[in-house]
Amino acid sequence: MTAAYAQEGKISVLNPKGNPPPIPLAPMAPRPESLEGKTVYFVDIKYEGGGSLLKMIMEWFSKNTPKANLVFREKAGMYDEQDTTLWAEIKSKGDAVVLAVGH
Amino acid sequence: MAVEIEKMGKPAVAIVSNRFVEPAKTKARKSGMPNARLVFVPHPVSGKTPDQHRAYVAGKDPATGKPLMEEIIDGLSKPLSDDDKKTGFVETKPAPRLIGPETPDNLQRLFMARGWTDYLPIALPTEQKVKDMLRGTSRAPDEWVGKMAGGEFEPWQFTVEQVAVNAVMAGAKPDYFPVILAIAAAGIPSLYDSPHSLVRAVVVNGPVREEIGMNSEIGAMGPFSQANATIGRAWTLISRNLANAGIAGETYTGSQGNSLNFNNIVIAENEARSPWAPLSVQKGFKAGESVVSIFCGLGIHAGQGGKRGSAAKPAFDRQIASILETFTSYFGALVVCDPLAAKDLKAQGYDTKEKLSEWLCKTSTLTAADYREQSFFELLGTSKAPAKPASKAPPAQRVARFASPQDINIVVTGGETLAVFQAGNLKYLTSIAVDKWR
Repeated sequence: MTAAYAQEGKISVLNPKGNPPPIPLAPMAPRPESLEGKTVYFVDIKYEGGGSLLKMIMEWFSKNTPKANLVFREKAGMYDEQDTTLWAEIKSKGDAVVLAVGH
Repeated sequence: MAVEIEKMGKPAVAIVSNRFVEPAKTKARKSGMPNARLVFVPHPVSGKTPDQHRAYVAGKDPATGKPLMEEIIDGLSKPLSDDDKKTGFVETKPAPRLIGPETPDNLQRLFMARGWTDYLPIALPTEQKVKDMLRGTSRAPDEWVGKMAGGEFEPWQFTVEQVAVNAVMAGAKPDYFPVILAIAAAGIPSLYDSPHSLVRAVVVNGPVREEIGMNSEIGAMGPFSQANATIGRAWTLISRNLANAGIAGETYTGSQGNSLNFNNIVIAENEARSPWAPLSVQKGFKAGESVVSIFCGLGIHAGQGGKRGSAAKPAFDRQIASILETFTSYFGALVVCDPLAAKDLKAQGYDTKEKLSEWLCKTSTLTAADYREQSFFELLGTSKAPAKPASKAPPAQRVARFASPQDINIVVTGGETLAVFQAGNLKYLTSIAVDKWR
């Protein structure tokens, strides 16, 4: 068979692509029935303009969900860096989070 | 980041601009939460007025066509589906080790179509060529070399043989393989997911440079040596294929890209002609050890050079300092001196690299207001920064551009045809011994 392929000028080569690791699935957090009486955190990741956009979203919340408690926070560090202090605060006091702007 | 919050038991919605639909979905999928609630606004968000942001809020998600605020409220309070609650693992079937039989032309086309190349022809990795490459190391083909990720994604793990396949494709010789393995073992991809189109550099020190014919003379940083060229190219192919880095629109978002990513900045330090200690020795390795040192940043600029300094009117230190004035603080500097420039600097009194770094650090200042305007300001003072900056000074006060002299690294390479230098806005990341990969 190899000789036949060689005759046709065909060769086999090694695959250069690696294999991705298995990705563990994480279940999403349960949702409240409504945001009334809930504390919603608005977290600015500090991508340029994100803070201003979030404040406009908060403005909408103030008008349309007046019984929600709105909290604005600026995350420490760069866009992709975790802010464990803020996460702990949200875990203890928050009910939901809106993050902007990330990718 | 929304995924981390969900994992804490709190519902989260992430607002993303619609230029990043695919990268955001990829990130969610690779974080184990493919249905994470992503809501898209028109791009860009930066540079818009509050009124324009208000209009975004009143408008629709351009990716779905649904009202933006309805999506946010639904994302936070609409009940989850069964899919949203799934646990377990997403596993990918391992790729076959061999491809073919096929004609060489068809294999070239296949490799390019699958995004396994840098869009230049490659040397096809036949079993014989890979076997030959593996003779360049004493390590077993199935031994793990390390892990690498092209950004904030899951790291991929890879073996000696997989690195050898990519080294063959780059056109490397087996003699170069220990250097390529050391670079791979650093776990730092040459392609990185950043809109800034970042670049990487590697400095090679020690006897391995001469043993494998690296060029540190005329044209040292150009396309004039198979070793320099293919070691750098192998790094990019390894990053693409073994870390899934540099997949445009998915794991790579560099807005303009950078031609340096083809084979990166590869510098063999000209230790024989340098008046100073090699970089590797500065990083704690013994003289005579072969070492690769890795840098990342925005790019490299050529200095004017050519005007030799003198004791009465020193020139090169000020010329270098003037280029550093354009640099962002976060990435520091990698100054690359031709041996002639280095010798002139030594004659000026900089008898060590450290003295020059100290002078450049002291000399390079900017106003606190300008400092805070830098794109990477947010990184400074975080765990990723080399040191906490003087970020709270009054706006007009001049502050040091670089946190410490250690942020300014200096290497020597070139053929002494002119006293010149180049300076990269490049930050030192790590050094890896080559000898253990022989």
